[in-house]
Amino acid sequence: MTLLLQLLVNAVCNAAIYALLAIGFGLIYRSLRFFNIGFGAVYVIASYVVIALSETFGIPLFASIPLGIFAGILSSILIDRLVFSPLEGYGAPTGVLLVASLGVYIAIVNLIALIFGNEIKIITKGMEPSFTIGPIIVTRIQIAQILIGWTGAILFWLSIRKNTLVKAIWAMGIAPELVIALGLPYKRMRAIVFSLSALFAAAASIITTLDVGIDPHVGMGALLTGAVAVIVGGVNFYWGWVSGASLIALLQAIGVWLFSAKWNELITFGILIITLIFRPDGIFSPKRRAEER
Amino acid sequence: MNYIIHLIIMIAIYLILTLGLNLVVGFGGLLSICQAVFYGIGAYATTLLMMKVGVGFMAAVLLSVLITGIFALAIGIPALKFRGDPFVLVTLGFQAIVFTILYNWVELTRGPYGIPGIPRPSIAGYEVTELPEYLILTSLFAGVIIIFLVIIYRSPFGLALKALRDDEMAAEGLGKPPFYLFLGAFVISGMVASVAGSLYATYVTYIDPTSFTLDESIFLLVILLVGGTGNLKGPVVGTVFLILLPEALRFLGLPDTIAPNVRQILYGLIIVAFMFLRPRGIAGEFKLR
Repeated sequence: MTLLLQLLVNAVCNAAIYALLAIGFGLIYRSLRFFNIGFGAVYVIASYVVIALSETFGIPLFASIPLGIFAGILSSILIDRLVFSPLEGYGAPTGVLLVASLGVYIAIVNLIALIFGNEIKIITKGMEPSFTIGPIIVTRIQIAQILIGWTGAILFWLSIRKNTLVKAIWAMGIAPELVIALGLPYKRMRAIVFSLSALFAAAASIITTLDVGIDPHVGMGALLTGAVAVIVGGVNFYWGWVSGASLIALLQAIGVWLFSAKWNELITFGILIITLIFRPDGIFSPKRRAEER
Repeated sequence: MNYIIHLIIMIAIYLILTLGLNLVVGFGGLLSICQAVFYGIGAYATTLLMMKVGVGFMAAVLLSVLITGIFALAIGIPALKFRGDPFVLVTLGFQAIVFTILYNWVELTRGPYGIPGIPRPSIAGYEVTELPEYLILTSLFAGVIIIFLVIIYRSPFGLALKALRDDEMAAEGLGKPPFYLFLGAFVISGMVASVAGSLYATYVTYIDPTSFTLDESIFLLVILLVGGTGNLKGPVVGTVFLILLPEALRFLGLPDTIAPNVRQILYGLIIVAFMFLRPRGIAGEFKLR
């Protein structure tokens, strides 16, 4: 029973990270309507910039982490400006954007592997300070994960409700043609989408790296976790993304308890396929009338 | 000389894989990223049938085709309810699931340790051991399969697939059932990939799950996107180009430690460039949607 409790606490931490990934991925997937694999590359870039700055140049973490986040945002906008925006200018269909983003991902990840090597890099060495609450052990980094993840999720929800521009970005997913008609600043909104997405990716990435380290190829896994959470929860329903992330983390914890951690991927993609077959709109999405589809 | 023969054998194996996948991607217009699953199931089924059950090579190949066909049916039925991004995601999900099973079901597949010492193929009592003999064997298999696929490409079935690809609603209106035709294409493409798996396993005589990862599926898709799809020459051009490209890079004298990464970077950049300049690939007729 103690084990299950401990696993559930871990699930809450993982859910926070997965929620960040889901928001980062979902922002682009929903408002620009294409499946951006380049998100995985941005995820990896942020952490490796932190590693490069803190290990090679000896810059302390409190300075190198913001720089890593900044590098993630910058690379995200650059990828959009150099690849996706021009492609969209040619009227490229979503399949072309998907494949182009795959190319971007492969090129960037292997460039990083070329520079830093394919093996796992760890920033923090030694034991992480931890707290014991009854039978459960929580590490400092886990508390940070929960705080950052859930604050991020709530802040973004508030900005959808309150901030006009973010509201417009959210609405852009439903009626993209209206953006031009209403004279909204499309280019700026696009830049905001890519930088916010990168911000969430970088936050999730760096905090995971501080916990367990990173290798250049984890970007795909992170991207897919985010994507599955968004689609399982329901693309058009913000709290669905967060609930989807929590559901994956919870079922993975139960999977670890019953079987073993090695079946985690099976659980994640099992949920995805079952959801797509039985509730293609997402488990948590509100019911829609037939004429709304 | 042996090196060149090895390259031709690999090209033959990949031709089977890509021409099979062409039926789904080029004719059906559906981006499937689980071809490595069928390749892998074919390889493992053949290996296990030959080593654990003691079946002969030809029988093992045929049984593997059957087994892979059943798997393709099981994956295709849910996946083909979707088009576009959700289809990509479902096939990707199955890719991840099957890989996890191959990797973690250690009792059956020996997982990450792989299966060494796979017996060499023997046909009617004649054992294929030398490299030139393998060349003849794989060329024969590839030849038969390519002829079979070309017949399918040109058959009413292939044309109906093209019609569905270009305008699903109109083709359905003309009485072409999309689900069954796509499912047929998906299953045939899986069964064909299984033969490639059988050939690969008995040629290399060692298999482990890392040969059948998501990266492998993506690589097969990249071959099609670069070469082009929807006809015979596109996948052929792509396969020859992308199998020989790393070998050409070898003559640049890159150290072995960085060569794979440089190769992958090039793949990535080539894909992006093609999406800009020529979304139908070098010699393809289907433009990606």
